[in-house]
Amino acid sequence: MNKVYVLGGAQTDFERNWTKEGKGVIALIKEIVSDGLSAVNLPFEDITKLNRENRIGCFVGNFLSECYVNQSHLGALLTEVDPAFYGVPSARYEAACASGSVALDAAISKIQNGDFDVAIVVGWELQKTVDSKIGADFLGQAAYYEKEAKNIDFPFPKLFARLADEILEKYNLDEKRFMDSLAMISNKNYANAKRNPLAQTRKWFMDFEQASHRNTPTNTSVGGKLAVSDCSQVTDGAAIVVLVSDEYKKRLDIDCPVVLGYGHRVAPMLFDKKAHEAKQSQHMLPWTRQAVLDAYRRSGLSVDDIDFFETHDCFTSSEYAAVSAFGLTEPGDEYKAIEEGITSFSGNKPINASGGLIGCGHPVGASGVRMFLDLYKQISGKSGRCQLNKADIGMMLNIGGSATTNYTFILGNNDKI
Amino acid sequence: MNINTVTVVGANGTMGTNVSAIFASFGNAKVYMVSRDIEQSKKAVNKAIKSVRADSITKNLIPVDYSILEKCVREADLVFESVAENIEIKQAITKQIALNLRNDAIACSGTSGLSITALAKLFPENLRGNYMGVHFYNPSYYMTLCEVIPTPYTNKTLFDEMKSYLANTLFRTVVESKDSPAFIGNRIGFHFINKALQLAEKYKESGGIDYIDAILGAFTGRAMPPLVTSDFVGLDVHKAIVDNIRENTNDYANDIFSFPVFCQELIDKGSLGRKSGGGLYKTQVLDNGTKRYMVYDIHSADYRDTIKYSFPFVEQMVYALSQGDYKSALKALLENHSTEAEICVEFMLEYIIYSLFISLEVGNGIDSADGVMATGFNWCPPLAMLEAFSNVVPVESLIKERLSASLLEKVGADRLLSCIKSSAYDYRSYFKAKK
Repeated sequence: MNKVYVLGGAQTDFERNWTKEGKGVIALIKEIVSDGLSAVNLPFEDITKLNRENRIGCFVGNFLSECYVNQSHLGALLTEVDPAFYGVPSARYEAACASGSVALDAAISKIQNGDFDVAIVVGWELQKTVDSKIGADFLGQAAYYEKEAKNIDFPFPKLFARLADEILEKYNLDEKRFMDSLAMISNKNYANAKRNPLAQTRKWFMDFEQASHRNTPTNTSVGGKLAVSDCSQVTDGAAIVVLVSDEYKKRLDIDCPVVLGYGHRVAPMLFDKKAHEAKQSQHMLPWTRQAVLDAYRRSGLSVDDIDFFETHDCFTSSEYAAVSAFGLTEPGDEYKAIEEGITSFSGNKPINASGGLIGCGHPVGASGVRMFLDLYKQISGKSGRCQLNKADIGMMLNIGGSATTNYTFILGNNDKI
Repeated sequence: MNINTVTVVGANGTMGTNVSAIFASFGNAKVYMVSRDIEQSKKAVNKAIKSVRADSITKNLIPVDYSILEKCVREADLVFESVAENIEIKQAITKQIALNLRNDAIACSGTSGLSITALAKLFPENLRGNYMGVHFYNPSYYMTLCEVIPTPYTNKTLFDEMKSYLANTLFRTVVESKDSPAFIGNRIGFHFINKALQLAEKYKESGGIDYIDAILGAFTGRAMPPLVTSDFVGLDVHKAIVDNIRENTNDYANDIFSFPVFCQELIDKGSLGRKSGGGLYKTQVLDNGTKRYMVYDIHSADYRDTIKYSFPFVEQMVYALSQGDYKSALKALLENHSTEAEICVEFMLEYIIYSLFISLEVGNGIDSADGVMATGFNWCPPLAMLEAFSNVVPVESLIKERLSASLLEKVGADRLLSCIKSSAYDYRSYFKAKK
């Protein structure tokens, strides 16, 4: 199996509202592809050359373009960016909010198999084309719509509030202590986003007090125990990474991060079934945990080897559950790591130095690719003010639905492994 | 620098309220919000909370009136004066602040145009070093710009600490400005806006106000057309800014700051803009609930319905921008030689040149105006706009071809163009695919 390297990539500024700018998907994909290719110094002519030998492919992650922008067939749509894409194998991959990861997985497999030397992975979503209520209904399709989202306002905040309820009950936690640790997650991710020039919330204000006082005029409840401060954002944006084979990397004579392992596990679609099944496990999200273990096994690494994490904090409760899924604490003890600051920017095991989905933003189909790009940036020392002191090996967890599709990747610095 | 307590004097004004919220939120400072009437101060507290969308700052906001101004100033690590832009009022309040300021505290004025150095002289000599200008923009939560203005007396260490506090604690975009009328942002912004107003008068028979706005819309790198912006600001504030610049500066562009007569007439009638229910524009809500968008027609001296202008170059630009094709958009503009397209090009190029000129004259480097226009006005900053043009044509020859030789000579265009550098801002987000 061939090794897969990450040459680099790009991300759009998640603060932008493309609808307000009067721009749509073509403007978005032109911009992200052009920024990504120039970041890795891959001109369109090189794509044409690689394509003559069928050595390049494109992988597009997107969840709901049919709803938000009335457009399908997104792999083919890349031909509108430049004629260099004529003839290049290209398709769209979908697994709700884990769409970016399933595109990455497909790209990695093609290089591992030796089919391609170069894989371009683009994730994107334009969500500001509709108001928040309609958008929330669209996103309900990541659940079992008929049973969990139909005729329900803002179904996903409610599902992740149920996750919070289940965690509380399963581990018999002190409610205030648990809710405060969720507020700490929110506050941390907003604070981290302040260092990120591409983060959606980089100008916004948040502090622990605001995050821990829920059901106030400026921090309204979104269902169950969660409030606005516990939620990720509605975001327009795209991210791109370019993956290459060992042979291609040798030709370039450069060093770049390598893909060390992955995990992909799918839990029962319905939250009720997840909750029922979890009663047999120490973990609240056993399949999320399994996706993490699979990546550790494939890479031959353990949690002790991972310097930093990017996780899918679509809600504070999902980052909370990720703490033990990564193995940072025993299940039920997550709040200890959070209270001790282990997962903070200056902690031993930082989570979401980028700001995550809460701070950086969550254009759903792009998030997996954005996390992967942030692992790349940290490992190659290109994270600017977000740069962590020790960032040789990083892990990401990207989930779709109510932790239904679970994807993990581990990237590392090729020099130090 | 530890800023634990801030006293904002004139906290019931728009800027005073917004700035109080910034200190109380990002700065986590206790803020005394001082205004003449305690009820006004209480209302301002609620507005401040809403402006940063955070009830958590409530505990930090203390509404007070002038009866305890002395105590509030003595207790403050920082006193921020934000009273009305009237020299007599500012002087009277500044003197009161000077009487009670601790010698380890900072005092600053949020004035948008008065001389900071002149106000500094109201302080006793031992406190003059503690005084400086700190000019926020509105709405401060979204517009992060803070122009900081030292006087010849300002203590350099204190000034640097204040800049660092604004940038690192309050997350402001800090740009240093000389103590010059209207500083950097309003000088450049109102150069553009007032020139648009003058041209509206010149082209009154072509439509005037909405005609000029149709030429300089969002597709030219801004959130809204310039005369809509003036209508938002209010003609009274607009006039105060341009009069100040016209009277107290003396560069080549002085005439551009001359306030048109028809606007004075509107002010006299109380038609200031959106805040007075109509000014350059007016929106009527009809009986059936629909809105009627009207504009002041300079030619007939009365309001009429706005016209939906359709200029071929604008249609082409908006389409190209909607496709993310910035090159084609600017090419369509440059290759069109209609009166409207030529006005548009001239405005954009003179904006670049004048901004660079002011960056060196009033700012402290060629890129000063970039931070200011991006984060104070949400306009495409000049160096970024220059980059956008340079992707289409050699920009130096474009400027020489499209702007008059006498203007270029007066502004010293060769010198300006010799020191341009790449922008820290991406022009693409500023060019909207909208009219």
